[in-house]
Amino acid sequence: MSGKKDVFHVGIDLGTSRSAIAASNGEHHVVESYVGWPVDMVARKVVKKAVLFGHEALENRPMLDLHRPLERGLIKEGSPKAEAAVRELLAHLIERAGGAGKTVHAVVGVPAEAMRVSRQHLRNAVKGVADSLLLVSEPFAVAYGMDALLHTMIIDIGAGTSDFCVMNGRYPTDDDQRTLTHAGDSVDEQLVLQIRARHPEANFSIHMVRDWKEKHSFVGEPKGPVVVEAPVRGKPTSLEITAEMRKACESLVGPLAETMLDLLSRVDPEYQQRVRNNIVLAGGGSQIPGLAAALERTLEDVGGGKVRAVEDPVFAGANGSLAIAADAPEGDWERLAG
Amino acid sequence: MRRVDSLKRQMLRDAVRENLEVIEGRAPAGLRRGGRWARAAVRAVALVGVPLALFASINAFSGGGATSPEVVVVPQRTIVPSAAEPGLEAVSWPAPKSIDPTLFHLDVKTIVLDAGHGGTDPGALTADGLPEKEIALDVAERLRAKLRGGLFRVVMTREGDETVSLRERARRAREAGGDVLVSIHLNSIPRAGEGGIETYFLGPTDDPAIRQLASAENRSSGYSLSDFRGLLEGVYVDVRQAESRKLAESVQGELVASLRKITPGVGDRGVKSAPFVVLIASEMPGILAEVSCVSHAEEARLLRDEAFRETIADALARGVRAWADARNLAGAGRSGNG
Repeated sequence: MSGKKDVFHVGIDLGTSRSAIAASNGEHHVVESYVGWPVDMVARKVVKKAVLFGHEALENRPMLDLHRPLERGLIKEGSPKAEAAVRELLAHLIERAGGAGKTVHAVVGVPAEAMRVSRQHLRNAVKGVADSLLLVSEPFAVAYGMDALLHTMIIDIGAGTSDFCVMNGRYPTDDDQRTLTHAGDSVDEQLVLQIRARHPEANFSIHMVRDWKEKHSFVGEPKGPVVVEAPVRGKPTSLEITAEMRKACESLVGPLAETMLDLLSRVDPEYQQRVRNNIVLAGGGSQIPGLAAALERTLEDVGGGKVRAVEDPVFAGANGSLAIAADAPEGDWERLAG
Repeated sequence: MRRVDSLKRQMLRDAVRENLEVIEGRAPAGLRRGGRWARAAVRAVALVGVPLALFASINAFSGGGATSPEVVVVPQRTIVPSAAEPGLEAVSWPAPKSIDPTLFHLDVKTIVLDAGHGGTDPGALTADGLPEKEIALDVAERLRAKLRGGLFRVVMTREGDETVSLRERARRAREAGGDVLVSIHLNSIPRAGEGGIETYFLGPTDDPAIRQLASAENRSSGYSLSDFRGLLEGVYVDVRQAESRKLAESVQGELVASLRKITPGVGDRGVKSAPFVVLIASEMPGILAEVSCVSHAEEARLLRDEAFRETIADALARGVRAWADARNLAGAGRSGNG
């Protein structure tokens, strides 16, 4: 009688933009990483909830004290609200997956930068949301879930950061990892500046721009014109933003390629070719059409290679974390409890 | 398959160990002192001891080997190995002592100006949206014009509104053969009503606020934490630190004196040390000057005024020239006595 069968395992991908959960009962959920508390009693009465999450929080943001707990891949230090938001978000995901009232063993994948810079801070923030909890870096969780533990490079392009991790058959150390802040958010910022320069009269928000990027992002030659709608002097107007979208998305290619090549050059020469042929893009940014091909082209100068995107970018990290949770021995969970 | 399972088991053990170390408040293995610091100590001996020995032998051959005022007798320091490495015996070596750079008669010829942020990274913003990247570039361009007229060659790490990683800035500075680096930034202080000028030189810090600032500025450097530690170990005993402090004091003094003539209440936040990547990796004496404060209403208003930015550039130029003159004169004096 190990008692393990009564335990509810979950794998969570705690992201700057989105957070996802995969549970041992087969449940999968994703929520935008926004947490909002009603600003006053009136707002509380209107929204009818003590705390709102994701899209619902975003929709009601004028009435909320809205928080996105991670910024550039790090938990905002010294911000009790950011810590509370992390806790609320994780608790919300576990509840949605059906973990309420059960013994929960959770593996939480976090941006690699958070694991390196503020692991103690993060550990304190998530204390108490599960009976036992293991923190791992997100690219490691992705690699684990794909059994890609040897001669593989994972490039996890999130909102706040792009995390690089070379899997050498060992638990990744700082030497095997890199983090860039060229990621989804930097593309959004670039896109805002580009569109504002071309259509100064248009009125749009960062949330609208994010939405446009999700629908129309691309690198390389466009498949057709990118046309979006935004109010101009109050009137809905079609805006052509093909060149702006391309420029913003392609701003990722240079920094990603530079870091990819730099990390490759540090791999044991005997294995460099194998790693070059086994580069995996994960995270929301992995789905930008043309990005994998553009990175592949930059490998041509060093002998060529293969870059592919994970099939399920939303749940690759959460599924990997769940696999870790399922494999971890019961004894380890006991040591990690509390 | 068996190999993958075995790798997974080993990695899981390492992930759990890393988490337990955080829970128990121990530094993760990769960060712990011991072997790393013992190695750093050996490197420090090589870095300082070899040039000292070389200098002593040159003096001996030239007949000047009796007592040189520049070679200081330094106290002994002992490092006791950590319990984690019982096999390592306690070692003693002379505490690293900066060498007076004027011993080598190296004049300051090439000045590298680094305008902070740029491209997709706007830096901090004034309340009305003026980005730090624009102010920093404007001041850097004015400073370049002022320094160029003299004996200096001036190189910029960025010429326009381009995204340049800290790693790339440092590379450009090194490749330009810079003798000194001046990085120009603007402060942003979350506490209402606070503003002022501060100048950093390379060195460690115990101040959590400065650590946070350095962490934020270093985040998109393109360096991993392990690179960072390696760089730090190599430079804290370096001659650059003393030279950089003198330059920081010269610049800070000129900035405060000049700006107080325009806005008497401007705060003197002093000269401080902090581990900014751009200062470490550029491998030359350098400072990071926060020349004003964008979050302070009065300073933000003044920063929109060209005359104010010109005053900042003037003060920086005077500070740099005073330091370079003192250094070059000292070198010339010694040369004449030789």
